[in-house]
Amino acid sequence: MEIANPGCRSAKSWPRVNSGRLQLSFRRSGLLQIILVLFVIMFAGSVGAGGKEVIRLGEINPLTGHLAQHGQEIHQGVVYAVEEVNAQGGIQGRPVKLCSRDDQSRPEIALNQAQELIFREKIAGLVGGYVDSLVAPVSELAARYQVPYVASASLQQALTRQRRNPYFFRVSRLDGIVEPLSRFIDEKLKARRVAILHIATPGSTEFAASLRDNLSKVGIAVPLLEKCRAGSRDFSTFLLKVKQAGVDILVSGGFYPDNLILVRQWREMRLPLKALVAPWGVAYQSFISTLGRASEGLLGMCAWNPGITWPGTEAASCRFVQGFRQRFGQEPNTTTMHGYTSARALLLALAQLASRAEPLTGPALSQALRKLEVVLPMEHLKFDEYGDPLYYRQVVVQIQQGRMVVVYPPERAKGWLPTAPSLAE
Amino acid sequence: MWRWTQILVAGGALGSFYALVALGFSLIFGVTHAFNLAYGEFILLSGYLAYFLWKSWGLPFYGTIPVCLVVMPGAALLLHLFLRRVRSPFEINSLVATFGLALVLQNLMLALFSADYRLIQPEAFPFLHLPATGLTITDKQFGLLTFSLAATLLVHLLLRHTFLGKALRATIQEREAAELAGINVNRMGWLAFAFGGLLIGLAGPMYGQTMYIYPAGGVEATLIAITITIFAGVGRTRSLLLGGWLVGLAEAAAAMWLGGSWKELVSALLLITLLVVRPSGLAGRDGNHKP
Repeated sequence: MEIANPGCRSAKSWPRVNSGRLQLSFRRSGLLQIILVLFVIMFAGSVGAGGKEVIRLGEINPLTGHLAQHGQEIHQGVVYAVEEVNAQGGIQGRPVKLCSRDDQSRPEIALNQAQELIFREKIAGLVGGYVDSLVAPVSELAARYQVPYVASASLQQALTRQRRNPYFFRVSRLDGIVEPLSRFIDEKLKARRVAILHIATPGSTEFAASLRDNLSKVGIAVPLLEKCRAGSRDFSTFLLKVKQAGVDILVSGGFYPDNLILVRQWREMRLPLKALVAPWGVAYQSFISTLGRASEGLLGMCAWNPGITWPGTEAASCRFVQGFRQRFGQEPNTTTMHGYTSARALLLALAQLASRAEPLTGPALSQALRKLEVVLPMEHLKFDEYGDPLYYRQVVVQIQQGRMVVVYPPERAKGWLPTAPSLAE
Repeated sequence: MWRWTQILVAGGALGSFYALVALGFSLIFGVTHAFNLAYGEFILLSGYLAYFLWKSWGLPFYGTIPVCLVVMPGAALLLHLFLRRVRSPFEINSLVATFGLALVLQNLMLALFSADYRLIQPEAFPFLHLPATGLTITDKQFGLLTFSLAATLLVHLLLRHTFLGKALRATIQEREAAELAGINVNRMGWLAFAFGGLLIGLAGPMYGQTMYIYPAGGVEATLIAITITIFAGVGRTRSLLLGGWLVGLAEAAAAMWLGGSWKELVSALLLITLLVVRPSGLAGRDGNHKP
């Protein structure tokens, strides 16, 4: 016989319907808890330590893959710019959060990462990017979703000139490289015949065509203009053609690793050239230390390097170098400075909007960038109507005793060796 | 005349480089059927080892090769140990497993060595320079030709003139039949990985000296190895060198007469044509494997 015990009811005695309700209520409360936790996480993510709303900045760079070296350099410049602003109290007291993404040196990944940054992270603006094949798809996305994008290293003229993109800006431009280089080849090197090698990227291809046109205008012949794939393993056959063409100057539009191989093979083959000029890849201390004596006399180009800065920005440049060394334990270079400059441009435009208490919307930020004018270590930065930097100019440097010495333009030149020394001597 | 000689030297050196990179892959794949997509990363590891021995310890370049020859077989045997856990179908699963391993190794190298490009022994020394003719053979071209010939000859002697080589060849030709004939195919697998490791130990420093090394560079080395192996036919050491030379010469000739951007297209066309005309590789007859 079952004894009734009202204080201690057996499980059997619980009405079934009550059990179901209890489970349901537990489910509901569990769900509510999860939603609450998610809300707190989301809220905490968008609010800084001081309770002010965080400003999110997106950054896409090739942090892995074949362009990782320069991608990492740009990334460090961007990180330094954001940390510098946060150390000074943020933008009107609002901390800046950098959302960095790796495009793995692949355009389709760059596009996916940009979408993720725009839709999920709700970023105010985008920075970064190395080479036009990675920058171009992101610039299209920026236009479509009205998110301003300041590219760190982009040259292809079609990106700004072919179709107006009010949300795309960049801190470098092709004319700032081709014009000083053409003048240098004409005035300083007094070249008669020039060979040009370029890589099958949009920027390098445009560079080669533009340089050939400029040289032809001043009566310098270009008997050899050759395209090759980035990452070529052997240039000895090309150098044989250079020899046959009887040129006195070789211009390489290759990147850092291409120039490592090209310069070494040029030295090994003892090709009689007056000079080898490479706008990209040579003006790096790491390039000089890697090639050692073989780099002596080489001519490269840069917009900035420690000790080579825009006139009037020496103190700011010095502060940047010291701060960067302290933060990363290494020397910054021209690519790092491109990353820093692009991030500074975006941060300054955001600060201007915030100081006027304007909403940080894409169209407002785009307008602020268009009106921005600031003198930074790399350049006097002001964007033209297309989003290109008006005053971007690179200088020609020569490797002398393992150091970069500015040799052109004359007003910034510090020294000059007339010809590249032969290693055979 | 001298121009032709110069193109022959350039193409031959490039082809030797390809053959040297492919030798280890071909041997390991032939014996174990392990489609090793992390092969290039192992070459890079060997290259990094040589680079740091040369740069930090001041070892002469050729002094780094014996160290790599000792270390890399160990790494290759560890890889074999890892691949032994892969279930059937082995060919497909080993491909997936080594793809994952390649990603892990790439990120590990990125963390350990940074993304910087490294180049071994950049000092320039022409091995032979005839100013009257314009012919120049660089020390690197000479080194590549010599080492690839020596490595191919040694592997050929091992496979053709030793009892162990016969067992390895039997395993490459018909694994099941070799097992029925009393050959311990598992032991052959270990040996193939050990010999493959030795070849990786040699190819790594040469890769770091001829090309530049960086964490993502392994993909290219793997592609070279796969292409040349398909071109020559699996396990065929002599035709591997011949295939490397053919591709190298085709690329040099394309660069000379068509332009540098045509090199890859010409070598791809050469590979496709060969696959259509001789599906079993350069030196093989269909259905008659002769390593």
